[in-house]
Amino acid sequence: MKRIETDILVMGGGATGTGIAWDAALRGLRVVLVEKRDLTHGTTGRYHGLLHSGGRYAVKDPPSAAECIAENRILRRTHAHCIEDTGGFFVVTPEDDNDYPDQFYAACQRLGIPCEEISVAAALKREPLMNPQARRVFVVPDGAADSFQATHSTAQAAQRAGATILTYHEVKQLLVEGGEGNRRVVGARVRDVARGEDVEIRAAMTINATGAWAGVVAQTAGVRVDVIPGKGTMLAVNHRIINTVLNRCKMPDDGDIIVPIHTVSVLGTTDERVQDPENLTIEPWEVELLLREGEKLIPGVSRARFVRAWAGVRPLYQEHYNGASRDATRDLTLLDHQTRDGVAGFLTIIGGKWTTFRLMAQVTMDKACEYLNNCKPCLTATTPVPGVEQGHYWLGHRLREVEEHHLQNELVCECELVTRAMLENAARNNPTLTLDDLRRDVRLGMGPCQGGFCTYRAVGILHQLKDEGRRTNDEGEVWEVAAMQSPAHNLASLSAPSSTLVFGLPSSVLLRDFLQERWKGLLPILWGRQLKQERLDELIYLALMNADHLPDQNVSSPMSDFYSRPGVSTTADQPPATDGGGAR
Amino acid sequence: MIDLIIIGAGLAGLFAAYTAARAGQRVKIVAKGLGATHWHAGTIDVLGYYPTAAAPVTRPLDALRDLTRAQPPHPYALLDGALNDALENFLALMQELGLPYAGAANAGDNLWLPSPVGAARPTFLAPRAQLAGDLQRAEPMLIVGLQGLRDFYPHLIAENLTKQGHPARAALLPLDLITERRDSNTAQLAAALDEPARRAKLGAALKNIVQPGERIGLPAIVGLEAHRDAFDELQAQVGAPLFEIPTLPPSVPGVRLTNALRNRLRQLGVRIEINADVMGFHAEGDRVVWIESDASGRPLKHRAEKFLLATGGILGGGINSDHTGKVWETVFDLPLVTPPNRGQWFRARFFDPAGHPIFRAGVAVNREFQPIDARGARVFANVWAAGNLLAHSDSILERSLEGVALATACAASRAACHPKP
Repeated sequence: MKRIETDILVMGGGATGTGIAWDAALRGLRVVLVEKRDLTHGTTGRYHGLLHSGGRYAVKDPPSAAECIAENRILRRTHAHCIEDTGGFFVVTPEDDNDYPDQFYAACQRLGIPCEEISVAAALKREPLMNPQARRVFVVPDGAADSFQATHSTAQAAQRAGATILTYHEVKQLLVEGGEGNRRVVGARVRDVARGEDVEIRAAMTINATGAWAGVVAQTAGVRVDVIPGKGTMLAVNHRIINTVLNRCKMPDDGDIIVPIHTVSVLGTTDERVQDPENLTIEPWEVELLLREGEKLIPGVSRARFVRAWAGVRPLYQEHYNGASRDATRDLTLLDHQTRDGVAGFLTIIGGKWTTFRLMAQVTMDKACEYLNNCKPCLTATTPVPGVEQGHYWLGHRLREVEEHHLQNELVCECELVTRAMLENAARNNPTLTLDDLRRDVRLGMGPCQGGFCTYRAVGILHQLKDEGRRTNDEGEVWEVAAMQSPAHNLASLSAPSSTLVFGLPSSVLLRDFLQERWKGLLPILWGRQLKQERLDELIYLALMNADHLPDQNVSSPMSDFYSRPGVSTTADQPPATDGGGAR
Repeated sequence: MIDLIIIGAGLAGLFAAYTAARAGQRVKIVAKGLGATHWHAGTIDVLGYYPTAAAPVTRPLDALRDLTRAQPPHPYALLDGALNDALENFLALMQELGLPYAGAANAGDNLWLPSPVGAARPTFLAPRAQLAGDLQRAEPMLIVGLQGLRDFYPHLIAENLTKQGHPARAALLPLDLITERRDSNTAQLAAALDEPARRAKLGAALKNIVQPGERIGLPAIVGLEAHRDAFDELQAQVGAPLFEIPTLPPSVPGVRLTNALRNRLRQLGVRIEINADVMGFHAEGDRVVWIESDASGRPLKHRAEKFLLATGGILGGGINSDHTGKVWETVFDLPLVTPPNRGQWFRARFFDPAGHPIFRAGVAVNREFQPIDARGARVFANVWAAGNLLAHSDSILERSLEGVALATACAASRAACHPKP
């Protein structure tokens, strides 16, 4: 069995875990991060993309709000290119409580959250689709954050500072030594799921940043952590119907926000306590609720075309809490298992939100450093990750670059303007096991056709890369993860600086997995024009390709099962005896 | 005065118009768009799979008996020999039009043609340019693509074919053999190969790489307007059997098929009004008097004695739906057979062999192909329906898309020519 020695073992490749790896590496520590799937596979990759100003929690959870505004200011510097400076509105609709807006404004003032009331007419000029019946509108510095890009950039910053990032490495068992009262976590046994091998990683400190999965991981050391898994469901409209984050100005509740991010607008969210963070079912009532509430912010939005639904699990935590997940604190919690459970060498970081990931990492490493020698102070608040020189994200960047460089015929995914070289470079330089990994890298298949055209092309291109074999790096070629989404920075196909390519899977499996993954997110919102689009995708993959009768029917990937689990309860479980139902 | 207005310009609409015009009817087509035939592989699928079948269908006409026993309301069960007639008429017509189609060497068998991902695709009739791809033939294959063409991956195709026991190898040729433009649109490449000089360059390159005894598979780009000559000349020059493999939409074989049919309809005096989205209609008693289209921003009334609906299913636009689970027929708001609620529309797996129930939704018709309501009563005395608008078949899942379109168009059109009181 392969063995690795390190100072810090981080478990979890979400925003927090990656932030910890970065923080630890900058402090001069040896650090290894393990993630069971791809980076951001968990909650980080399944949220609506809001960079909080803190306004949302100003009244209900002031400490959380204070953290948000502080981190908002920091991330705009350290992760500028991952953030679109959309600004946010807090909109008082006719349905909302009259007293709340003044409380809201006062709380923002108290917490130092920039907040300005503007006229409804001025707000409508900026966002013409906003409910014209709105009574008051406040402007706050909300933003839209690309959590895929941010996590990848953080990971690359960590790697450049010496960290090792191992994706598709799943924790099987924490390694515990010592007897009762003197127990110590000394690392973990993990499984390299792509190669099917076990690896033993021994570390001075082991950090559990697995979010909603924290309880499951801690359990393997006999430590109890009761996560409050709060499922949030979101729906994406097929284009940018707004360019400013729209929040309802009321106590946090279901369906109170619409976030413009990349090419879509996201209606969020619901909040429901669930048992299992892995198997999330989107219920029809959640979709209906989001449409109904969305109508209050943008009248007519329920008739828009939706391209996708998904759910993420907030890893909320409150000791001895038994209430609704909506009311559980959003604050971060650090559990020192030495003082809490008598198990040394082991920390769990939980709670918080994407906006506060850097702070969570800092708090965790400050504590870890109390147990280690020769730690430098935290540097993450003042160290930009690679890519900040690009400035803030803006929606038109890909189109401008495609047009400037005449790349129209290089497009593999027309919806999201992904060129062939972007895809090839991401596949060669980021660990790639499935097409879904490339989706997170370059937004493959995230637009209106949901993979209808690009799935086939991506499979064909990856197949060709495999045939070419792995080249070694040419002199001077540098893989900039921050430029991964930029057509202009991918004019030529880079060779791979290291063999991170994990193409073991037959093309048919890549194709089947990705189509199933897309299907899972489509099911809850298929009607009208998107249903028609889906039928075109069926025409392509069934009638034209016969892709449901390809060889390798029995081969699966580590993700096949995950994609195939029901993501929605609106499915016919039993084949209908007849065609079911009569004429309307 | 128009006898019959056909709504929809897909394969069913065009073939219904052809059938009626040949029977002496004055016919007009009113359609929102060009029809979904541009997206098809250009083949005539009759039946490849169905949920209760134990194995893929090898002889579709023989399998129909079993299918219609298992699924009595299936559109194929309503035909009195119209499928055979439709296929024969279609073959004769395409021969006439210079775009000949044929079936497997063993008459009545399905063809098994290589798909653009290298699967074996069952179909009943194929244009001549696809026939040499039949996987029941033994010659090894050389699959040739063009560098930079994003819609065709020869190595992927060859690998999957070989895995299934059909020996194939792959090669890539430079795109500038065909075009100086950095252009990877298959329809434009096909148009470029209408020019003899360009095909000669491609032919020379193919001749260079082909080995004796091989047949050559190409993306379906060998000519658009001059397809027949282009294909014959290229094949003669290379000296090996050639076959085209259809590609992602827009599909060149689909475009060729639509163009050929529309040319013939024009010769027969059929007017085709595209860009005319039908927005309303007027009925008196049980007869539709006129339909109204929205074209160029003004409403336009179209009157006729009879109306034949060939607007397609969910893909063609004949059926629409919303988030409440409402499903409706878009022209006459006809009664539909649908799953009772949105919870019953889908199954959890995209590739579920039983298909998704919503795609079997459609208009129920009687044996005269006239729409009926839940009690079986005819809705309008002068309305007929054909094609994928009809309920009780998921023709993409079954690989029966064009077979259902041609057969029901033929049957419905005949019924409309000789209406029963």
